[in-house]
Amino acid sequence: MPGDKIYEDLSVVVRRANAVFRIVAVALLLVLGYYWKAQILDYKRFWDLAEANRTRSRVVSAPRGLILDRGGVVLADNRVSFKVSLLRESVKNAAVVYPAVSKLLGISEEELRSRIERYKNLPLFEPVVIKDGLEPEEIAPIEARRLEFPELEIAAEPRRSYPKKTLAAHVLGYLQERSPEEIRDNPGRNLRISDLGGRAGLERQYDDRLTGQDGSVVEIVDSVGRKRGENPMQPPTQGRDIHLSISATLQGKAEELLGDREGAIVALDPSTGEILAMASSPTFDPNRFIGRFTPEEWVQLMNDPASPLENRAIRGLYAPGSIFKVVMALGGLDLGLITEQTTVYCNGSIVIYGTSRACWFPQGHGSMNLFNAIKNSCNIYFYTLGRQMGIDPIATAAGRLGLGRKTGLDLPGEKEGLVPSQDWKMKALKTPWFPGETISVAIGQGQLQVTPLQIAVMTGVIANRGGRVVPRLLLDREDSPGAVSPATAGQPPFKPAVFESVIEGMWRSVNDMGTGQAARVDGLDICGKTGSTQVVSRERAEMLARAGKPIKTHSWFSGFAPRDHPRIVVTVLVEFGGGGGAIAGPLAGQMFRTWKDSVGK
Amino acid sequence: MMIDRRLFEEIDWILIGLVLLLSLLGVFFIYSSSHFLPGNYYLRQLVWIGIGIAAAFLVMIVDYKFWVSFSIYFYALMIAVLAASLVFARLVAGTKSWVKFGFFQIQPSELAKVILILVFARIFAEYKGRYLNTQSTALALMVAGVPLVLIMLQPDLGTALTFVAIFGAAFILGGLRKKTIIILLALSLVIGAGGWTFGLKNYQKKRLTTLLNPREDPRGSGYQINQSKIAIGSGGLTGKGFMKGSQSQLRFLPARHTDFIFSVIGEEFGFLGVFIVFLLYFLTLARMFLSVAKARDRAGVYLIFMASVLITFQFLINVLMIIGLFPVTGIPMPFLSYGGSSLLANFIACGLILNVKMRRFANV
Repeated sequence: MPGDKIYEDLSVVVRRANAVFRIVAVALLLVLGYYWKAQILDYKRFWDLAEANRTRSRVVSAPRGLILDRGGVVLADNRVSFKVSLLRESVKNAAVVYPAVSKLLGISEEELRSRIERYKNLPLFEPVVIKDGLEPEEIAPIEARRLEFPELEIAAEPRRSYPKKTLAAHVLGYLQERSPEEIRDNPGRNLRISDLGGRAGLERQYDDRLTGQDGSVVEIVDSVGRKRGENPMQPPTQGRDIHLSISATLQGKAEELLGDREGAIVALDPSTGEILAMASSPTFDPNRFIGRFTPEEWVQLMNDPASPLENRAIRGLYAPGSIFKVVMALGGLDLGLITEQTTVYCNGSIVIYGTSRACWFPQGHGSMNLFNAIKNSCNIYFYTLGRQMGIDPIATAAGRLGLGRKTGLDLPGEKEGLVPSQDWKMKALKTPWFPGETISVAIGQGQLQVTPLQIAVMTGVIANRGGRVVPRLLLDREDSPGAVSPATAGQPPFKPAVFESVIEGMWRSVNDMGTGQAARVDGLDICGKTGSTQVVSRERAEMLARAGKPIKTHSWFSGFAPRDHPRIVVTVLVEFGGGGGAIAGPLAGQMFRTWKDSVGK
Repeated sequence: MMIDRRLFEEIDWILIGLVLLLSLLGVFFIYSSSHFLPGNYYLRQLVWIGIGIAAAFLVMIVDYKFWVSFSIYFYALMIAVLAASLVFARLVAGTKSWVKFGFFQIQPSELAKVILILVFARIFAEYKGRYLNTQSTALALMVAGVPLVLIMLQPDLGTALTFVAIFGAAFILGGLRKKTIIILLALSLVIGAGGWTFGLKNYQKKRLTTLLNPREDPRGSGYQINQSKIAIGSGGLTGKGFMKGSQSQLRFLPARHTDFIFSVIGEEFGFLGVFIVFLLYFLTLARMFLSVAKARDRAGVYLIFMASVLITFQFLINVLMIIGLFPVTGIPMPFLSYGGSSLLANFIACGLILNVKMRRFANV
């Protein structure tokens, strides 16, 4: 037996051990081959993956273009603010991170979660802004605890600011966060989530032009997303500035004049269509709520029955009242139904179609020719004319002066108003026109609805003796699409001679003890017409009841100056103001005076 | 007991040199992958290397026959410690495999590997036939089974696998009949299927499924494999340079200084670094395996062979694991990875090999 030897025979086990080692040697060679494949053959692929791992591209927001008034006063500016974003891919344990983040930033966890929920369809590496509009001193405590919160990203961004606060708020508009749908529907514009975009006013109208081109920085990051370095950046380019025709002085005056009243003031240059002032009251301060979040203040403004966010100048619909008498006069003259010498006797009331209708002046104006009928705003004269004209010729005349359709101002949301006609009534209400309704329309009541801007444009057409007026806010002529030299374009709506007759009446209204005399300014030949809307629509009455307001008449004044070569139109509307001559007239006078002292010099 | 001059002359200085070279290489990469962490891991590893050398020396000065004959007491102690640690040891990283001794922690399961080698050497050395008989197979299964179950309960899949490897190595050497192999295979299939259904924790199952498709779960266990593959692959031929690997320096690579140290080498020194480490390992393993011819008796052959298999197995599993060819089981790379217990166990294993080798002519 081998076991009997001093050294036993171990050849079998040794052979087995050596065999195992040979297998091990082959295995080592095979594994080494696999490493060769990974490191040499697949090198490029893994290198790219490693690069993608350690770099992250961060967007540098571009500032929006400035908005300036016609004199270069900055109306919309940018200032530095900070935003905090959440890197969702770095969140390891939402149950721990979300409460900690909400505590750090002082936002409710519920809000935080709903915010993240809103963007759940976007790739995880896209940061979601969870707080913005922070000042440097607010960012310091967050920055100090940066290492505890690797999932947060703090970045500076230019933030829109409106240095003149409420000035021209309705014209400028405001920004809100772009919706995921908006981003999806505009692939060509390179919009990003959490971007702020123009939501109203000029910010919206010229959003393309005002929005800059974002830059980018390539950051080197570690596995938890901490920034470890930065590569040179591609700088952002600011959006283009826009210069407005608005005059900050005149705009400020208009807003000051409106004060606490609800209403609108529009001033424009009839020769060019440039809007010099467009005020709407009540107003708001967009600084207080622009941002990505919907603060209570904005919700309150939205729900306020006085609708402070609405631009009454282009969206408020009112009966024109006695201002419409100039339309009647122009139409009547043009049709040859009246001449300057045509007189109507006013004894304070008249019976038409079996109904007695009163003049606003119960004692009666006596014998009225056209000039005096306009000057005194005599109802009887225009009732009579209305009966002669009939509704459709009235509608045609109103349409020629731009009523019932958009003026074409470069602001979104403009309303068309309404000029009733037989056709319209049949289509809309399925009932025939009653002749009695014509009589109401003749003095600017009934279903007639106009915006203050439409009245301003109409006044501009009269001032131009028929020359077309396309209102616009942008001063840069070459940038304003469709802006042809307005005064010469198209056929005049009426024979030029008829304008002079109406203008004479409007001149007397202001300068010859007429209803518009409160608008008179020494040294300025102002022509104007007052209006007071006597009938309140059902919806309007309900709205008034909700707002707890007494039902008073709206007060109108619209006029231009100087009489020859007119350079400014002023239209004033004060809701529930009372008589046009008493309320709107003096405001218009102040506007003319301010213009004369500043822009008009 | 003194070491006489003759024994001293028989010491395999080349093997010692290779092992120390690997260990010091490890220290460099531990520094590279953890210098930005508090804790001075590379210094601690140096201390552990010192302790390892001392332990190996202690193992060497006593004739292995002594260690083998006393192995039964070590075995009993090991079972007691494993059972106790299962009950008392505080949970570290989800397993109960750590025991705290004052200021340092140790993983008893690491040292259990060495004890298992000694016990098997004792059992198998008794059987001098060409093949193992049934009784000895059953006894060996039992001896291995008890600590295996205890370690599985910790749960420490990596160490359990190493146990199976040592144990399989002993069987290979002892010789198995075809019939026994078939029975064992059938048995392991049944146990494997049963273990998958009832025994494996969810995270362990996940590791196995992740191996098949790492992209399925890029943030969980697949993340580690992906990052490790990216690190190695992006190293290319010559690597990104010492302490310049973006994957390791920017912490994308998990367990950089421990289980995934070889990924750091692959990233920072490329295929060249990988090749050098493979070459060093090949030389070391060759030196170890081929020492079996120098053993004076059967127990010595078993000791050298099982100790060599222990180190080979850990190395192979580790290099397969970090490149995604084997599930993430938490088996460190011997000598290179940071970790005192593992280092100590592997140094002791080396000590045993050296012990057998230096006493080839010793009189019994």
